[in-house]
Amino acid sequence: MRFFDKQNKVIPEGRVEAVDKVTGGGKYAAEYKVDNLCYGILVDSTIPSGSIKNIDLTKAQQVKGVVGFVTHLQKPNVPGFATEDLIKQSRFGLPIFHTDKIYFKGQPIALVIAETLEDATYAATLIEVEYNTASFQVDFDAVHHNIPLQEAGRERGQIDSWRNAPYVIEEEYNIKSEVHNPMEMHATIAEWTGERHLKLYDKTQGVNNVQQVIAPLFNLEKENLEVVSEFVGGGFGSGLRVWPHVLATVMAAKQVSRPVKLMLTRPQMFTGTGYRPASWQKIKLGADASGKFLGIHHQAKNETSLYERFSDQITRVTRLIYNFDNLKTEDALVPLNLSAATWMRGPGDCTGDFAIECAIDELSYKLKMDPVDLRSKNIAATHHPENKLPWSSNYLLECISIGAKHIGWDNRSPMPNSMKDGDWQIGYGMAVGMWNAGRNKTSAAIKMLADGRIIVQTAMTDIGTGTGTGMKNIAHETTGIPQDKITVELGNSSLPPAPSQGGSTGMSSVSGAIVEASNALKLKLAEYAALINIDFRNLSPDAILLSGKGISRKENPNETVTYADLWEQNKLDNVVVEATSGPGEERKKYAFCSSAAHFCQVRVNVKTGKVKIEKLVCIADGGKIVNEKAAANQMSGAAVGGIGMALMEEKLIDAKIGGLIGDDLAGYHFPVNADAPMIDVHFIGKPDPYINPTGAKGLGEVGIIGTAAAIANAIYHATGKRLRNLPITPDTIVG
Amino acid sequence: MIRVKINPIMAKNEKLSRRFFLKTTGVLTLLAAIPASLKSAYKQVKDFIVIQKKTAPLTISVNKKAYTLDSDTRTTLLDLLRENLALTGTKKGCDHGQCGACTVHVDGERVLSCLTLSAMVSGKEVTTIEGIANDGQLHPMQEAFIVCDGFQCGYCTPGQIMSAIACIKEGHANSVTEIKEHMSGNLCRCGAYNGIVESIQKVATS
Repeated sequence: MRFFDKQNKVIPEGRVEAVDKVTGGGKYAAEYKVDNLCYGILVDSTIPSGSIKNIDLTKAQQVKGVVGFVTHLQKPNVPGFATEDLIKQSRFGLPIFHTDKIYFKGQPIALVIAETLEDATYAATLIEVEYNTASFQVDFDAVHHNIPLQEAGRERGQIDSWRNAPYVIEEEYNIKSEVHNPMEMHATIAEWTGERHLKLYDKTQGVNNVQQVIAPLFNLEKENLEVVSEFVGGGFGSGLRVWPHVLATVMAAKQVSRPVKLMLTRPQMFTGTGYRPASWQKIKLGADASGKFLGIHHQAKNETSLYERFSDQITRVTRLIYNFDNLKTEDALVPLNLSAATWMRGPGDCTGDFAIECAIDELSYKLKMDPVDLRSKNIAATHHPENKLPWSSNYLLECISIGAKHIGWDNRSPMPNSMKDGDWQIGYGMAVGMWNAGRNKTSAAIKMLADGRIIVQTAMTDIGTGTGTGMKNIAHETTGIPQDKITVELGNSSLPPAPSQGGSTGMSSVSGAIVEASNALKLKLAEYAALINIDFRNLSPDAILLSGKGISRKENPNETVTYADLWEQNKLDNVVVEATSGPGEERKKYAFCSSAAHFCQVRVNVKTGKVKIEKLVCIADGGKIVNEKAAANQMSGAAVGGIGMALMEEKLIDAKIGGLIGDDLAGYHFPVNADAPMIDVHFIGKPDPYINPTGAKGLGEVGIIGTAAAIANAIYHATGKRLRNLPITPDTIVG
Repeated sequence: MIRVKINPIMAKNEKLSRRFFLKTTGVLTLLAAIPASLKSAYKQVKDFIVIQKKTAPLTISVNKKAYTLDSDTRTTLLDLLRENLALTGTKKGCDHGQCGACTVHVDGERVLSCLTLSAMVSGKEVTTIEGIANDGQLHPMQEAFIVCDGFQCGYCTPGQIMSAIACIKEGHANSVTEIKEHMSGNLCRCGAYNGIVESIQKVATS
């Protein structure tokens, strides 16, 4: 259950799991040793629409080593899927193996279970499926015009009041679908440890979420379903849902009465674990001659599947960053024969922010105003523009001015297409991003052993963000116990419950629980100490100091009651404290946000259209930074994701075959090392006074929200060509 | 965005590969001359036959430990390590030679283990991420990845480290640009490229 086996002696305050990650010791979902294990491989539909007429298993059955199959015709009982109504109520999404209907190409329709991976893989190729084919539609661009828009949220002010604004930008923006593609492909090992007991090793961003989704489908008591997800090879949102393959693996293990391991193939990662949906947007933005925004009209549509509707809430961010006295937002969903879309890093806001930040940039050139000044003039710096609550803290203006200095904004020539170096045009661009800083109820426990070591526990996962390290750092800061005496356990549903790690809420949520648990430990130990020394009675946590050896009072730090004495005199076993912490009244008094300013310098080749990102600067306000190194890493990584969004990422769909092409890592490009410059990251670093006991606001999303717009704006400044569709590929620049 | 990586084993056997290429193209030309009806008959026969698993004896040295086993002839080095030898430090990120997560050293050179059949490494010395620390003392590159925070989720990390060691050995670590170019066969979706480059610089200049 330990998140790591070996202490990080290289950097004691550094990542707790560092040694396990650099030695290959950490166990990811597919890497646990389970006795009597067999292997599952999913077989996917080869048509985009219709139904299954027949599945012929005869040839596959001839492969020695095949243990069993699951199809919609031969499957174990799933009580939660027993009727159509129950399936709907479960809100699971794709009713895998419970329908003959085909919704998209790549839909899992059969599962082969065999003794070895090779046997399963080969047998899967021998399954022959006959279909009744039906008409299909996968072309978002071709059909979204037919879908009417609906109001998305309340209208602010009056859309007509700024009809005659002297400066107006009205443009459309299209962004192709992106796929999370974490480096670890989703995998599940399912082991029925008893008739009503199930254990899952699963790649997920939330073990409790998996528990809550799977347990009711099999009428299991929640505590009889243990979900383990200690090392998670990236998520970016793909691990926030429980996908069909997880249920498929559980069914397979039931079917063959043996533990089954299933790892998706990389192409299956394009249809099996969600994606950022393709989108269309239209922005109408008006300002007066001074540059004050008069109003915005934001319309957006995103693609979705036929079997569940997913709204990316693209216009949400429109209500967050700037003061718009008049605002209208509308959206619509475009159902297609595609797999389900889901949240991907900076969901919705990343998409909406691109359009807004490009439109503002365009407006600045029309106004002949510096893009930095135009933004600064209109940013809602003191109050949330929608609910008018004061920000608990918002340092976006500071982020902008620091970023401008770092990139050398004032050294640029403001005119587009005015800076050249041989065949290269040079340009500067900037954009901002913001994210509602959320916090969820989270529990944590601390177990203290007789030798003074503590084990800090929560069910929350660490998907590479540094959750475990942050937990250790905060426990150290709050208790005073040295870093090398702190161990972390996480990513297991039998630990104190925690929400999924997503939406930049992980550190914000868990940090409060760690502080509370640390304080509870101090109080508990002081209670025991008071039985030895009466001075320890009725102290507040702030007045108590813990060290590697024992407990003392702030008033008199030299007088220590050692843990050895505490344990001996009170005949203690392990001391265990648990605490739960979540948002409260402060949410009614304040609005909370994280924000960032992104600045970029590009070179664009006149002849080839190649874009080189020369410099990328990201200045973020994430409140208190718990671990600077891990935080900076997360921000620069998000910026790399932004480069992908801006310049290369596109889930290619062939409208004729009704499915994906290039659905692997050679066909789908995200940035390699050479595509990114060394990224310059800085933090404001001021703790938020109200969000939680530590003041950490969360960073995962704001690193990518605005990056693509900064790059597109820099390309405009370099070339004089305004490109409003992503990705911006060389052909669109020279074309 | 170039993702091509030459497998050193293939590169060494360039002559053999070329001859092999000529032979196969010759066969293909012959095939093209066969009437379509015969070809479809061949396809039917082929479809009908279910090929059964074949094993072959394999002697292989991994991290200086010798293994003798009967191995499925279809098994890749990557699956052999992960599924048969319980060496799960080497990661599967694509299984198609497109991501670098499975990079190991074969006779000291970086190789994609997912594109290498286990039968191809018989008699060779394979080194994986589990084999570079010395008696519990981390390899300088492992230590550098910790100091420079060259990872987040850690899944591409074993491949990055194996590649990084080779990158320096190949003499391609003389500048940020050169490191970035020669490390571009190892994808990192977390985007921890800042730390990866710094780790390599640290080891290369020490």
